[in-house]
Amino acid sequence: MERERWLSPREFGELWALSQLSPGIHLVALAGLVGDRVAGWRGVAATVGGMLVPAAAITVAVTVAYGAIASSEIARAALSGVAPTAAGMTLATALLLIRSTARRARAQAALDLAVSAAAFAAGIAVAIPTVAAIAIGGLIGVVALGRERPTSRETPVG
Amino acid sequence: MIVDPVGLFLVFLKASALSLGGLSSLPLLRADLVATHIATDQQLVQAIAIGRVSTGPNGLYIVSLGYLVGGFAGAALATVAAAVPPLVIIPIARVSRHLLLTPPVAGLVRGVALATAGLLAASSLQIQIAAGATAWWQIALAAAAVVLSYRGTIHPAFVIVGGAAAGILLGR
Repeated sequence: MERERWLSPREFGELWALSQLSPGIHLVALAGLVGDRVAGWRGVAATVGGMLVPAAAITVAVTVAYGAIASSEIARAALSGVAPTAAGMTLATALLLIRSTARRARAQAALDLAVSAAAFAAGIAVAIPTVAAIAIGGLIGVVALGRERPTSRETPVG
Repeated sequence: MIVDPVGLFLVFLKASALSLGGLSSLPLLRADLVATHIATDQQLVQAIAIGRVSTGPNGLYIVSLGYLVGGFAGAALATVAAAVPPLVIIPIARVSRHLLLTPPVAGLVRGVALATAGLLAASSLQIQIAAGATAWWQIALAAAAVVLSYRGTIHPAFVIVGGAAAGILLGR
């Protein structure tokens, strides 16, 4: 980006901050914002397509390859190790999301962690619909968690 | 495909639109697909693992999941569903960039992210149990994966490969 002088470092930083507010995959938002800034909607098509089409094709290819061996005994054995590994990685993703989102001051951190803990309990109990738990979190956020700008995400979670 | 394509697309679109980055769509997808028996927890685990091994953003695990439940059409629908919601930020940023950087929006994003993180943690435990990965060595493997992924010094694909190797050694 900088080498080609498409964006200044400052512009890139600003677009990155905006991308962190987007729904869905933040890297897609960042690609779209950069494309839009450089070349309008054609730029969006180029950057988002350029990012997603090859990656999706490779993901499908890996899935097809896995499907071809999925019923073999060795693949089943491998999956018995991959399943807990993937679950553990998912838990780590959740913890990293908390680390990058929760504020540092003690009272604020306690409030932020309480929101995550309540959502965790709601998720385990299943009695509360997932969408409702997310909406409640957002509502609490608007009312009580907005005092400080989001800390920069050191860890990419997109 | 066996699954209704429009319904599947809407499930993926909803999960993408109501999540904040990468794997955070998992609790929503699990609620809409596993509870309704369209997908299994085994398939979710496979898709997450494949998403980590493959290139591109982690959130593209839904493309793998789309293929597992709906073939090539399912994968294509999932890709579109992943592409569209993040792009709403472009017109919003054009119209009201300054509004996006105000405390209520920061609070909204923080609240959604924190709630999603709690739900994602719950989902991770649920898929571990539902996938039947409750032997001692599998729990130890999950714990090791938490530590390695949290520290982030080893590429996720190698962590997955390590898990597969441990499964081949211990899982028969």
